[in-house]
Amino acid sequence: MRHPGDGVLRRLLDEPDGVADVDRLHVEDCAECGSRMASSGADALLIGSALDFGTDVDVDAGWQRLTGSLAAAEAPRPVRPRRRSVRTPFVAVVGVVALLGGASAAAAGNWFQIFRTEQVTPITIPQADLVQLPELEEFGAMRVESRPKIRDVGDVREAREATGLASPRVTNLPTGVTGRPHFLVGDRVLGVFQFDRAKAEKALGRPVPEPPAGLTATEFRLTAGPGLVAVWPGNSGMPALMVGRVVAPKAFSNGVPFETARDYLLSLPGLPESVAGQLKAFAKDGGTLPLIVEEGSETSFTTKVGKAPATVLSAEGGALSVVFWVQDGFINVAGGSLSTDEVLRVAKETRWAQ
Amino acid sequence: MKQLLKERGDAVPASVRSDLEHIFRAAYPKVVGVAARVLGSRDEAEDVAQEAFLAFGRTDVPAGEALGWLCVAAAHTALNHLRSGRRRVSREEAASDRLTVAPDVADTVVAKEEHQRVRAALSRLPRKQAVALVLRHSGLSYAEVAAALDLSPGSVGTTVRRAESALREELNRHASSR
Repeated sequence: MRHPGDGVLRRLLDEPDGVADVDRLHVEDCAECGSRMASSGADALLIGSALDFGTDVDVDAGWQRLTGSLAAAEAPRPVRPRRRSVRTPFVAVVGVVALLGGASAAAAGNWFQIFRTEQVTPITIPQADLVQLPELEEFGAMRVESRPKIRDVGDVREAREATGLASPRVTNLPTGVTGRPHFLVGDRVLGVFQFDRAKAEKALGRPVPEPPAGLTATEFRLTAGPGLVAVWPGNSGMPALMVGRVVAPKAFSNGVPFETARDYLLSLPGLPESVAGQLKAFAKDGGTLPLIVEEGSETSFTTKVGKAPATVLSAEGGALSVVFWVQDGFINVAGGSLSTDEVLRVAKETRWAQ
Repeated sequence: MKQLLKERGDAVPASVRSDLEHIFRAAYPKVVGVAARVLGSRDEAEDVAQEAFLAFGRTDVPAGEALGWLCVAAAHTALNHLRSGRRRVSREEAASDRLTVAPDVADTVVAKEEHQRVRAALSRLPRKQAVALVLRHSGLSYAEVAAALDLSPGSVGTTVRRAESALREELNRHASSR
């Protein structure tokens, strides 16, 4: 008779009733299987010992802690409510990028404020400054004309039809990522911003410098999207892998150039000088997309995906990584519960199929 | 809203599933145990378990599948922590002091350094093997491991055996190099 496999012998150690009688009887009479089973038992004992860990858990204390965390998660944030909802075009733009971050709020929640798109460059600022950044709607009138309406769609064909975009094809999934992805899509967002000096002074609590001529009469139309992302779910609530793209944000002006307005806004006293200086410097590069990265919670470096400049961000001590790269008018992203090497490999190997 | 919270007892927000407390009280020790086997630290294991329950509270995973879902989530999260090197040495050292091993296998107890080595090796295993191993050694039945990992019950033994064999080789290699 054929000898039972290692898996059967292993189960025989733990759950003899789960093993077929014929196998059990065979092992009882077979010296070879007896030896294999002894070896399996020794390994199981050794590893069981190595992994064993006495946990004297206080369930009541654990429950109290959990309810506290749940209540805190529900409570309004103690800072300005800009990140609670998608309200302004700039935040909406981030909403689309956050879409590309999927459920990875731990990472996506730290990024906002997008101005230009031909290159991605991170700016690191301290947390204290992050929460002081003024929201644009406090500097003028912000009219949102269309929102991203982020939603889950059935399959890749529906995602393509909803957005008109090519979908990512990843043939060599990283270890631990399995199954078929589901797709999230977001429509194009469009907002119109017009600077209002009085509002800006009220928001900042002090006079602001004389705005550039024509600024207050200029309307800026800000758009981003549509976008789609393929998400391979993980088991811990965060995506195991996500790959997607969004039509890069654009800014249009019917008066003074957008860059002029941006530089003026960034020079206002509500913005820390160091950050304002950094942003101005980026503007001279002729096309960057500043991502403001919370200091201490993330690390970042720049590299290339193909010939395109790319920025890699990692959070959670490297357990969560995302790479952004900008190419052909799209912001592309690959990320998930993976190392930076893994997301870069996925980014480089991803093909886009119409 | 206040009335709702009051009715829910421990101020559990209304957006959280209503059976959370019941599931928490039944499963928390086991979920902590899963994470502790990976991390070797009760404090970190509790952090991971809390993370898993926070995520679980907003899912509609059927109650009958909750234990498997939570254990898998805890194992993955803990393995991610291991891989990222996020763990703190001091915690590891403190944890090792609380290590408990049955007296009748005292001669097989591996030293603290070897525990760390095993956990490092654990983080390098194929993810499914590592999770199956930890779940099984945390007391989940073969059927529960199979359901949680979408494996056939017959392949659980094979997966666990391979993982144990790989870890034992790691220990032997280290022992022979000393």
